[in-house]
Amino acid sequence: MKAIEISGISKNYGQVAALREISLDVDSGEIFGLIGPDGAGKTTLFRIMTTLMLADAGSGKICGMDIVSDYSRIRKIIGYMPGRFSLYQDLSVRENLEYFATLFGTTVEKNYGTIREIYSQIEPFRDRKAGKLSGGMKQKLALCCALVHKPSVLFLDEPTTGVDAVSRSEFWKMLERIRKSGVTVFVSTPYMDEASLCDRLAMIRGGEIIGTGTPEQIISAYPYRLLSVEGDRIYPLLKRLRETEGVISCFSFGASLHLAYDPEKTEASGILAAIRESGLGDCKVREISPGIEDCFMQLARK
Amino acid sequence: MWKYLLEKEFKQFFRDPGLPRMALAFPVLMMLVFPFAVSMDIRNINLAAVDNCMSEESSRLIEKCTSSGYFRLVYHGQSADEAMRLMDNNKADAIITIMPGFDRETVSGSGFPVGIKVNTVNGTKGSLGSQYILQCVRSYVGEKNAASGTTVPPAADISEKYYFNPGMDYKLFMIPALIVIAITMITAFLPALNIVSEKEAGTIEQINVTPVSKTAFIACKMIPYWAIAFFILTACLIIAWAVFGYTSRGSVLWLYLFTILDIIVMAGLGLLISNYSSNAQQAMFVIWFFAVIFMLMSGIFTPIASMPQWAQYITYLNPMRYFADAMRAVYLKGSTPAELWYDVAGLAALGSVMVGAAVASYRKTE
Repeated sequence: MKAIEISGISKNYGQVAALREISLDVDSGEIFGLIGPDGAGKTTLFRIMTTLMLADAGSGKICGMDIVSDYSRIRKIIGYMPGRFSLYQDLSVRENLEYFATLFGTTVEKNYGTIREIYSQIEPFRDRKAGKLSGGMKQKLALCCALVHKPSVLFLDEPTTGVDAVSRSEFWKMLERIRKSGVTVFVSTPYMDEASLCDRLAMIRGGEIIGTGTPEQIISAYPYRLLSVEGDRIYPLLKRLRETEGVISCFSFGASLHLAYDPEKTEASGILAAIRESGLGDCKVREISPGIEDCFMQLARK
Repeated sequence: MWKYLLEKEFKQFFRDPGLPRMALAFPVLMMLVFPFAVSMDIRNINLAAVDNCMSEESSRLIEKCTSSGYFRLVYHGQSADEAMRLMDNNKADAIITIMPGFDRETVSGSGFPVGIKVNTVNGTKGSLGSQYILQCVRSYVGEKNAASGTTVPPAADISEKYYFNPGMDYKLFMIPALIVIAITMITAFLPALNIVSEKEAGTIEQINVTPVSKTAFIACKMIPYWAIAFFILTACLIIAWAVFGYTSRGSVLWLYLFTILDIIVMAGLGLLISNYSSNAQQAMFVIWFFAVIFMLMSGIFTPIASMPQWAQYITYLNPMRYFADAMRAVYLKGSTPAELWYDVAGLAALGSVMVGAAVASYRKTE
């Protein structure tokens, strides 16, 4: 049975279409990533899947239960961690955890095994008020609270936004461990570099899914070849490259430029020659293999 | 489940730095300070006397006024212009003018040539001032008749007697009203703010994905405030008895019954406010709006009967009108709910409308 199956989900806020005919399948026991920029509709999709909001059109099932008619049963088997820290700041770590355990009709002791690994890191601060925790610890507490009732599916809405690089990689290691215990993880993120850590992913932009598959599938489906160009005068270089024959797209990517070209129309040497011609020759050019972000940029162009 | 939800609300309440202290201080402050502050007993009315008679009789009348304790004589002379100037400068609140021949005419009983002018820039002070002067004149006439043994018929003999509050004691009058205000504030507005702040913090979202029903969640949010409302009611009644020696003339049970009715109305209103506000600022403004209207149009400070007709119609929609009326009637008069059926009906009708509207607007999912 699929953990999540949704088809044709649409949602409008007044005149603005937040989601357009979204269809997704998530297998049980995988980490599924929803990747897209801010405002792509990620949170709206989360709210529909977690039964907090009704879609205008389309249907969905979580573990075989309908998101509209079976909402009360779904709520017992999902864990949801919203993007914003939303626990009680005036209750202690332990009290928050016990509160959420009770709401699901269970106790912390009964499910201690599920949260032990994460909870052990914040246990020294069990009597501290949640509002007084550091950002990383708040996140761990929120994760514990979402896991305390042993959910079958865990929804994490941008859990790593605003978190430092070290804590982010630590967090993904935790997700890996959660997945191993049999929980399906549905996670959204605006960071493309986290995409390769998912088993499968869907890219969302402007309320539409623009690509889906394993990270490898998405990368191998990239139709062009890619060059990395580094130079001193980035902006004139970018302008010149975009005008060059056979170049599909060119974007700045950190300190360098990523240039996609159609191998049927031109070659790397041809592009290099064009640069030299315009007097911007003192730059490093090398062939690279595409990453998820390159794929996203390419798919988003359509 | 309910037990734990409630436990959490109480925990948060007592952990709040201000709320528990406020709940304690509120009834004490209200009972010990406000009855004096909102008192409508007016003293030290500045009186200017224009005495055109300058006889023994006229000075006795003026003395009668000043010895009543309500007036302070700021002018005693013959110039009407001077007295008017004092009033224009706000130095005099009332002018009593005694015409020449006052002594002759009162003795013969042919007339009573006295004029009264009152500054009504402050309406309460003005109307009470004129009443006080009339009272003084009346008692002067009464004494005069008794002393001389003559049967001079007074121009008008109106005797007033105040039932249920013989001394026109404003403290006694205000105590049930202040209880009404406190209970309304606590049961309607605090839970509304509490719910909205959970919305703001995003915690309500987290609760909504749990199997907990919204009804249970909201009820558990309100119950602590109901407990506080009953605590305040009890504390106020005890303070009124211990400090002022006032007790309710009617059964205390009825006071609690009307409080329960009011709580139902207010729970509906509080929930309505929280449904339509997405942050505390909005909620505060709506609360302030209702609080002012409820209080000013409740008959607590100004009698409803003296409002214009259209305003009186509006008061029918004000739950505080019924609640205040009922609490005063039970406390001062010893009425029972059967006699106050219109208050019961008013509260019940408003309650069912408010709760119905609140539940309808309160949807399970967006």
